[in-house]
Amino acid sequence: MSVLDKIYEKAKENPQKVAFPEASNEKMMQAAYETGRDGYIIPILVGDEAELRALAKERGYDESVFTFVDIHEEEYKSKVIAAYVAKPDTKLKEKALGRRMENPLYYSMAMQAVGEADVTFAGIDNTTGDVLLAGQMIIGMKPGISTISSIGLADIPGYEGSEGSLLAIGDSAVCTNPNAEQLASIAISACDTVHELLGWEPRCAMVCYSTLGSGQGELIDKVKEALRIANEQRPDLNIDGEFQLDAAIVPAVAAKKVKRESKVAGKANVVIWPDLNVGNVAVKLIQQFGHADAYGPMLQGFNSVVCDCSRGAPVSEIKGNVVISAVRAAGSKKK
Amino acid sequence: MDRKELEAKVIELVAMAYGKNAEDLSVDSTFKEDLAGASIQMVGLVSELENELDVMVALQDASACVTIGDLVDKVEEEM
Repeated sequence: MSVLDKIYEKAKENPQKVAFPEASNEKMMQAAYETGRDGYIIPILVGDEAELRALAKERGYDESVFTFVDIHEEEYKSKVIAAYVAKPDTKLKEKALGRRMENPLYYSMAMQAVGEADVTFAGIDNTTGDVLLAGQMIIGMKPGISTISSIGLADIPGYEGSEGSLLAIGDSAVCTNPNAEQLASIAISACDTVHELLGWEPRCAMVCYSTLGSGQGELIDKVKEALRIANEQRPDLNIDGEFQLDAAIVPAVAAKKVKRESKVAGKANVVIWPDLNVGNVAVKLIQQFGHADAYGPMLQGFNSVVCDCSRGAPVSEIKGNVVISAVRAAGSKKK
Repeated sequence: MDRKELEAKVIELVAMAYGKNAEDLSVDSTFKEDLAGASIQMVGLVSELENELDVMVALQDASACVTIGDLVDKVEEEM
């Protein structure tokens, strides 16, 4: 059973409410319909209800699979706004939020912020920037986290790591040149993400071209400082370094290079790159030479799960990412 | 609201969003050097401009401003 099959099974055990603000898009509606029909999620279509119902009918979908939320209906909107502004630490006040909610993306996120939905899934019509901005404005960032970032899950044929062929890697997509504080945030968020999604006990390695002082320089100083911050902020997590990649994931190399106690060295299941140059190249190497399947990017750092899919994504990929985000949302509730 | 009042209000909101003292800021203060904030603080600032002045300044426009004075210009355009 592949990792994605396992995640699909997990989703079915506890289907989450997923809000779709771009449901008029054909691929998005199909993904919402099929994942809803098969019991993985509870799809909520947010937009112009009459238009969405007409499109669903035209596309031959059983409308009873969907819950429709009409953004023009004032009573429900007022209820969401009242609940939102009553929450502490929200950025927008009543009038500004009401205006933003004319956009289904903001409407969906406001629903999510007040618990009317568990996840907002978008990105096929909106840009990544649109989704990140709405997420930061409406959902907000987790306390203590200084940047939005992402991780991916690589399934690498022939790799026998501490989680079999799987390895979580980040950030390979969002935060380009993190400073030490941001790098610490990426590591902390990554640990939370893999725990929510896969139930793993995270063992997170911060990698660079040095293992415990074997190299020197400002590029390494940043990683060391990030490690210090991460350990100080979240002593409950197993985050360690600085390691080279082999010392992080190969027990024999760790035994030679890491001459102190470490719960991570040689058995890391989460690897954090020092910046996006490394992250992007590493993903391409894993894919090209390792023939890996890579799932994600999964956004992290928000108060609750925000998802952005690629604008060119096929329906199968959208469905996979919808289900992944739903399982993360269910996992985050268990904390 | 005249220009001076608007400048004072925007400076107050910038100070709040970036955790600075309003007295230490002016229209010549720069976002990059003087404020050196993260993008999330600009998101907070844009939200506060909407809340307090009822204007929507796009994040990319606000992020392109070099000084607080540039931002006041943008806000004025939207009012």
